Amino acid sequence: MSNEPRTETPAPEGASEHLPNDKRSSFLGFSAHEIRNPLSTALWSAELLARLSSEERGGARGEKLSGMCLRALRRLKILVEDHFLSERLAIGGLPLRLEVVTVAEAIASIAGKAGVVNLSLDLPQGLAVRADRGMLEHALEALLAAAAREGAPVRVEGARADDEVRLKVRGAPPAPDALAMPQKGTPSDPSGRALALYTARRVAAALGGSLSASADAYVLALPIAADPH
Amino acid sequence: MAEGPPLVLVVDDDPDILEAICDILGAEGYRVARARHGLEALERVEAERPALILLDLMMPVMDGVAFASALRRRGTLGSVPVVVISADSNPDRAVAVGARGFLAKPFDIDALLAQVAANVR
Repeated sequence: MSNEPRTETPAPEGASEHLPNDKRSSFLGFSAHEIRNPLSTALWSAELLARLSSEERGGARGEKLSGMCLRALRRLKILVEDHFLSERLAIGGLPLRLEVVTVAEAIASIAGKAGVVNLSLDLPQGLAVRADRGMLEHALEALLAAAAREGAPVRVEGARADDEVRLKVRGAPPAPDALAMPQKGTPSDPSGRALALYTARRVAAALGGSLSASADAYVLALPIAADPH
Repeated sequence: MAEGPPLVLVVDDDPDILEAICDILGAEGYRVARARHGLEALERVEAERPALILLDLMMPVMDGVAFASALRRRGTLGSVPVVVISADSNPDRAVAVGARGFLAKPFDIDALLAQVAANVR
């Protein structure tokens, strides 16, 4: 980690996106739809557990219901965090703590949470960006989780390009319009990552960079920082 | 047709929703079958002739609206009652597919059991 002092700054104007009412309504409808499925499972499994006797709770059915409840709550946690982060970024209301962050360190800290089984890195020594560490890790976790879909091996390639760092995240190929606004009517995402890429794109903009997708990779571009070491 | 407790077919693309509803109904003595989308549900209906279908609307491969439309074209199978279970709180689409009932997620367990008891054939 860098010893450089952190600076707090509001998210840049480009990060906030004032949507027309119909698009905003569609986004909120989609978020509500995605949240209702795990909310249902969490409520039902908790209620069923409450109806069991203490002996039954320790048995196979109790164990199954407990696992179901935990999975649903974890899924809800991701969805709710993404939803509110996205909303706060949309109004530019989130102060950013900018610091020098080494890309390899940031990836190492979230690879486990993203569910990546097979990860390889091709990063120049000391590659670093100037970013809010929490925000950067949030975006990287979303990209790694998306690329690791269905157990795909993930490769992250980094390069310096003028005044920015470009990170290509390869794995399961991005779906068409993967970064577009999610819409009601799409199938539920059982991993709870339905809002993740959309939120990651907003995070990238808030950090003064961008997130795009090609046929075979997600490309995250962020402001470069000098090697902290 | 096999005798015994009524068979309820649960159609939903969310594996935990499927598991939870099947657990609830199984504990109440119903037999349960499950499908992850409309196309799989059509195969189950043909093979198992359920007494009731609990149908989600937003699913991959074949959604609930397309499934209901295909079901209605299948002679006597088209008369199997359908109750829509949806995370969309608007009941209009349930009416559009000719459902006997509508439950907006997250619904109460007792509301589910009441709808099943009232509509099972």
